[in-house]
Formats: sequence, structure tokens, C-alpha cells
Amino acid sequence: MADVSPVEALPPASRAYGELEPPTAAPRFGMAVDTERCLGCWTCAVICKSENDVPLGMWWNRVLTDGEALDTPRQAADGSLALSFVPLSCQHCDNAPCTKVCPVGATYHGEGGLVLMDQERCIGCRYCMIACPYGVRVFNWGRAERPAVGETGMVAARPVGTMEKCTMCLHRLHDAQVPSCVWSCPAGARIFGDLADPSSRVSTLVRERNGQRLLEERGTEPKVYYLEPRRRRSL
Amino acid sequence: MSAPALPRPTGRAMGPARPRVDPRLAAWLATLIALMAAGGGAWLYQQWNGLRVTNMRNTFMWGNYILFFMFFVGLSAGGLIVASSGRLFGATRFKPIVRVAVLEATVAITLAGTFIVPDLGRPERLLHIFLFANLTSPMVWDVTIVLLYLGLSATYVWLYTRADLAGRGSPLALGTGTSERALRRDDRLKGALAWVALPAAILLHSITAWIFGLQIGRTFWYTAVMAPMFIASALVSGLALVILLALAVRWAGRLRFDDGLVPYLGGLLAVFIASEAFLLFAELLTAAYPGAPAEGQAVTRLLAGPYLVPFLGETAFGLLLPFALLASARLRRYPAVVALAAGIAVVGIFVHRLNLLLNALSVPTIALPPGLSIGVGQAGSVGLPGAAFATSYWYLPSPVEWLVVGGVLALGAFLFTVAAWYLPLQEPDHH
Repeated sequence: MADVSPVEALPPASRAYGELEPPTAAPRFGMAVDTERCLGCWTCAVICKSENDVPLGMWWNRVLTDGEALDTPRQAADGSLALSFVPLSCQHCDNAPCTKVCPVGATYHGEGGLVLMDQERCIGCRYCMIACPYGVRVFNWGRAERPAVGETGMVAARPVGTMEKCTMCLHRLHDAQVPSCVWSCPAGARIFGDLADPSSRVSTLVRERNGQRLLEERGTEPKVYYLEPRRRRSL
Repeated sequence: MSAPALPRPTGRAMGPARPRVDPRLAAWLATLIALMAAGGGAWLYQQWNGLRVTNMRNTFMWGNYILFFMFFVGLSAGGLIVASSGRLFGATRFKPIVRVAVLEATVAITLAGTFIVPDLGRPERLLHIFLFANLTSPMVWDVTIVLLYLGLSATYVWLYTRADLAGRGSPLALGTGTSERALRRDDRLKGALAWVALPAAILLHSITAWIFGLQIGRTFWYTAVMAPMFIASALVSGLALVILLALAVRWAGRLRFDDGLVPYLGGLLAVFIASEAFLLFAELLTAAYPGAPAEGQAVTRLLAGPYLVPFLGETAFGLLLPFALLASARLRRYPAVVALAAGIAVVGIFVHRLNLLLNALSVPTIALPPGLSIGVGQAGSVGLPGAAFATSYWYLPSPVEWLVVGGVLALGAFLFTVAAWYLPLQEPDHH
């Protein structure tokens, strides 16, 4: 991918705001999502599309509603209403089912333990999509459609007929900046850092707030943790 | 002890079938060529526009092509099982149809491999599977065994027909003769091949099952019964197709066998159908009994949800009906009844494979609203709520997918017809 990140051009205050906590020598990058803070605004999902130039109809990052519909709370038997959100993108599993099944090793564990894609090697068989229990991989079914003319992202566009997915904004990590979904969250609900460092903010929060992982029983060992709300959130 | 004299190839049925191509055959072949051209055109169209011209989406990522791939892997079972069990278990009654059976296996496995190609987003990178093979991928195991199986089946066809080809001076005999010694060597080779072919057949169906059955992300597939069930369904559809093709080739005058063979094959097919039904029942009971949500839901969808009709198509129509027809010793005396039952069984196994895909893929593991992004922009409806996402997806193949499948099927019919017309299919009789 072309290294075209304009981080250098940012005003110092903005740069400082998105700065990555210094990782260890052998980092395991991961994320905590504070569901107490998430208000379901989809800012992280939309900025992901523009940061990574994700074409129309494809989303690397979505915000699912734990309710009856996108904007409808769940009603319990006693009539009380409850609404919460599950921001969902690649979980960057340590025991990733997708990397195991890829016939050509086009999806693999790369730097920082991230699950990455080699767009030039992918044969487009979509076996990784079959294997992924989280439904976070997206395929280039046709030529990319964009709302604006030309490419808009900070990374190279992906070719038709190949798979693509969340990279945790690897291009930003190279500039010591957190992923775009993290700095852009208006509620500060996403915390990114090095899980290999027990004193990092993400590790501390996962420990103290009893971070849970999605579909834990499948043994995929995700590196994204969900922090449960500490107070009752129903009406 | 001296070996008994082997039958020498006779002059019967050694030359090409007819001195001139008969007009019906020519019309049939022309139709197939037209279908192949249409399929090839549809595939090029798909290559130009991407897989969006199919109805597969992020919400349903494997469709018609993989369905037919699984189905044809299963169909290829018939040949090598007939050929190798004749050798290994002394099932000599198979002998008259052994050449048709191995030819069927060769064509079916060729088609199975061919169906992979249009499913790929980048078919021009197919060789990456060998250049960058990731050995933990069941797909790499499967490509290996499919190629091995293709090699074995083609070798079988050649070995069984070679002496007769040599007898008529065909270049396909590759310079081998018809001496007693050559025939003895063939016989030894056939015996040796059977020892490799039977395990290869078992592996082929198991590995194809493991493409699906090892995926912890898909609870409906994640079951140890997957491989045995694939073997059982392969035996059903493979033998059923061999029966149909043997009867067709006999009807076309290219093969003689007496009617006594038909009830024997029909009875065997009934046993295969019963084992498939048993495994299916064992799987559903195990999944449904605890009432646990993950497995339970998939089973509920089969028994009470939108999948009830295809599920009944698989069980009542595809398994019970042919079993009932074939289990009766009186009914299976009639070749027409056996052919009907075999035809229904082939369709039933197809529906079985369809259910495997539909039920596992149409609802995502995390099915919270708004669901998965479809994967293509909705022309003219950008911004409409829900247009780009779905929590469930009812997949039906697009016309392009049907044209491509039709083209590959026509290729199979073409290969089989030409081979059945040219190759000597009659096994010499024992005296």
C-alpha cells in the first residue's frame, strides 16, 4: 500500500490527539470497545470508509444494534426497553479461522499480530468469508463504485475479485497514530493499544472492566474486547 | 498354479460405433456445443464485470458453482467404487458396466474441478494454489485429491479400454499390444490400482466434506458426521448416475448387459440410500435434542422455517420415495422403475447439498440489525435505509450463473457422449 498518510501535515494538537501509546518491541495490537459509551452514531463506520476508500455497499466496520431493528430498542417481557450497540469490525483473532483456510496464504498474521490481506495473492475464493464467524470480511464483487469521482482514501484501492478487510489502519500505526475509528469516536468509546503491554491503557481497561470477547466459545481468541456497561441502561 | 487364460479382445464392438455420424447424435452434439458457447460467453461476461453479475453477495458468498462442485465430486464416486470393489471384494457382477462407471467418474471429477474456476474472483491466479499452497487449508487438500482422483480415473479408463484400442490399431493405445503378456500386466495393474483408488475415493469425499465440516464459524456444518454423510450421499448419487448412464448407453446400443444386473444395482442403491438417511437422522437428532440455540436454530429452520419445502424435497422425495421403489424386490425387477428411482435419488442428493448451503449461509452468525453489508452499491437507491445491509438473504442463482453451469454440464455431456461413442465400452465376456 502506498504510504500517503498526511499525518505530518496535521496541526500538532490534532497529531497529539491521535497519538499511539508507545508499543512494546513485539506488540499485539488490540482494541477495547466501551459499550457504556457507544451511542450508535456510526461515525467510526463512516470515517473508516473514507480513510480506507471502501467502495459503496461495502463496510469494514459497522455498528450493530442490540435491539429489534437498527433504531428500535428491545422490549423485555416486563415492558422495559433496552438498547445497546455492538460496533463490529475485524476482531484480529489470534487463532483466526480465516488465515487457516486461505489456500494461498493471502490472509495472514502480519505486524503487531494483525490479520492482514495480500491483495496481489488473493484468488477470490471467499473461503475466509465462510470461515469468519463475525461476518466482517467484504468481497469486491464488481468494479469499485464510489460516491465521488476518483479514489478518496489514504490507502491504495483494492482490485476487483479480491477480499478486503479492516487493517486497524496499519498505515496510521506506521505514523504512530491510532486507527481512524478510534480518534474519531465522539464518545471516546474505542481504546486502542498494545495488549502485550500489561500497563497499556487498553490492557488495564480490559482487566479492570472485565472485557468480553464476541463468540468466545469458538476459541478464535479475538483481540477486540467489549467493556460492559456499569450501570443499568433500560427504561 | 497357472493363471486361467484371460479373455482375448474379440472383434465385437471394437471399431468406432457407426461408420457415419448419425443425425440424432450430430444434433445432440451441436446442442451441447451451443450450450458450451453460451456458458463460455456468460463466464467472459462475468470476468469482465466481476462476480456481481451473480446473485452471490457478502451475505451469501458461495452459491451455484460450489453447489455443483460438491454435487459432482459426489457423482464421481460411482465409478471408482464400482471398479475397485469389483477387484477388492470380488463383486464380479459389476464387470459389464465397469468401463461406463470409470468413464462416468472421469467426466464427473473433471466437471467438479471445472466448477471451481468460475467461482474464483481471480481465476488467472489459480496457480497460486500450487505456488503459495497453505497446507492448513482444506481447499489445498481438496485440489490435491481432486487432481489425484482425476488421474486415477483417467488411468482406469485407459487401462480397461487399452487392449481393445490396440486391437483396432488406435493411437490411444499408446503403442501397447494385445499379447497375452500385456493382458496379464493390465490385470495386475487393475488389481494394484484398486488398492489406491478405493482409499482415494474415500479421501476425496471426506476432504470435500471437511472444507465445510471443519468450520467452527458455521455451526450447521461443524459436525463429525459431515465426512461420513458426504461418503454416503456420494455413494447414492454416484451409483444412481452410473445406473442411469449404463442404461442410456445400452439403449444407444454401445453396451450389452442382461437385465439381471439392474435389480442387483437397484438393491445396492437402496442400501446406500438407507445409510444416507440414517446419518442425516442421527445428525438432526443430535443437533435438535438439547434445544440449544446455535445448532437448534438451524434445525428449526429446516423443520419449521422457510427451508421446510427443500428439506421435504430432500427427505421425503429424495430419500424415502426412491428407497420405497427399490426396497421392493418385485418393483426393482423393472429397469424403468430402477431408472426412475435412480433419477429421483440424484435430484434428492442435489437438494440435500442445496440445503447444506442454504441453511448454513443465509443467516450470519451475528445476526443483529442491520446485518452484513451486501457488497455492492444499490444503483439509484443510495441512502435508502437498509438497502445496503441484510440480516438474512434468500439466494437464487442469476441467469449468468445458470448459463455458466449449463455450459459446464454441456461440456460433461459432450465429453461423455464422445468418449462413449469412440471408446470400446464392452468388457469381454468370461467363458
